[in-house]
Amino acid sequence: MDKAVYIAMASGQNIMAAQAIHANNLANANTNGFQADFAQARSLGVYYGEGLSTRAYSRSENPGTDFQRGSLNETGRDLDMAVEGDGWISIQAPDGTEAFTRAGSLKLDPNGQLLTANNLPVMGNGGPIALPPADKVTLGADGTITIQPAGQPADVLATVDRIKLVKPDEAELVKGKDGLIRRRDGQEQVPDASIRLQSGFVETSNVNAVDELTSIMALARQFEVNVKMMKMIEENSSAVAQVLRAQ
Amino acid sequence: MNQSLWISKTGLSAQDTRLATISNNLANAATVGFKRDDVVFEDLLYQIRRQPGAQSSQNTQLPSGLQVGTGVRVIGTQKEFSPGSMQITDKPLDMAIVGRGFFEILLPDGSAAYTRNGQFQINADGAIVTARGLELQPSITVPEDAQTISISSDGIVEATIAGQPAAQNLGTLTITNFVNPTGLQAIGSNMYTETAASGSPSTGTPGNQGLGSIEQGSLENSNVDVVEELVSMITTQRTYEMNSKVISTADQMLQYISQNL
Repeated sequence: MDKAVYIAMASGQNIMAAQAIHANNLANANTNGFQADFAQARSLGVYYGEGLSTRAYSRSENPGTDFQRGSLNETGRDLDMAVEGDGWISIQAPDGTEAFTRAGSLKLDPNGQLLTANNLPVMGNGGPIALPPADKVTLGADGTITIQPAGQPADVLATVDRIKLVKPDEAELVKGKDGLIRRRDGQEQVPDASIRLQSGFVETSNVNAVDELTSIMALARQFEVNVKMMKMIEENSSAVAQVLRAQ
Repeated sequence: MNQSLWISKTGLSAQDTRLATISNNLANAATVGFKRDDVVFEDLLYQIRRQPGAQSSQNTQLPSGLQVGTGVRVIGTQKEFSPGSMQITDKPLDMAIVGRGFFEILLPDGSAAYTRNGQFQINADGAIVTARGLELQPSITVPEDAQTISISSDGIVEATIAGQPAAQNLGTLTITNFVNPTGLQAIGSNMYTETAASGSPSTGTPGNQGLGSIEQGSLENSNVDVVEELVSMITTQRTYEMNSKVISTADQMLQYISQNL
């Protein structure tokens, strides 16, 4: 049988992998702050020597993550914040390294630690932010946290810390296995004072659902073409066997 | 098998959970003192199928690998403790908390529960109880011949007795608060119990130390915003439909290959 059947088969497998990437994007269409992953196929030649180089496999890969902004959704919560324009909120990943997120749905734990919705500490001027007991917490446009200390009248306000906002070069960023965005070189990013926050808003997922669904449909048809190829190669092969039998 | 099937399955179950939360919020849109829940989603782990930077031949490297996410999960729900609107009922034992804090209720097993639902009544012994007959703490007993009951904003309960010119002091109500009310465990019937996440209760005089004050003759409505819930329902439904479309697409692909090869 012609070796072309392996090319069609490998292509079918890779199409399934690319579909998995799009399916994951679509599954996260309602996840706040989610950044969609790209999928692409690249040809991988087998032989570039003398004669005809007829064999090229297609391989799916995800060349990167889409760092476009999601839309803003008003929640009215004191501890919800969305980053305006380019920029990220600095958080501490479970392994202690610095990671970046745009999912600004924050909460306080009983010790006053400021956490993201998935329980990761938010970084401030000097490490993870911890707030003293407060009756009201307000997030300023530049990330400054103002509290009304517990038991104090409304005119007694204290500025306690400032959320570390960063603006790394997006070409430097990579999504890790835990779904968190980090710098490719693992370095910490210096804070950027120019970034602005919108309190009372969250950034929704940046997944374009129509786009993802269309890609999945297109890949499904491409898969069928590959199956068709396998079928034709099989028919050719049986035709050859038929001819040889007739001798 | 096609991995998209399992990934989209996680999408469907997450949207299911979200819809259940939305419908619970809507069902309680008219429940006094109810606080709405928000669902928090998180993407699941990623599998590296091909490491970026691996050798593709002796002197070439793969510029990018293949990293596939495995779907979405519900990481939790958050109670949103923003205040609901006030309605005036003018019933003497209806109380609303203006600001932060909870009424403490004595559960039948002797432990404490906390609520913001201030619809209280008097039981046969004259004690102030919730609609379920659970006693408000600190317990206040209203004498049988009391004509009117008045509750001040800082919690002092007084009754006027027929034939007595001066009002009789029956006791003082307190308000309890937590560092992290979102961490309280909802046990139903508008009540919450303390957890490790909520921190320990701190009790004080209403209107002091940042605690809310008591407004007699009013009730706090639920803080459910029905428009927001309905819009969330639309996005949930459409996301659900698209994820199920992926499942049927993957299914058709498998069907196609098994019929044609």
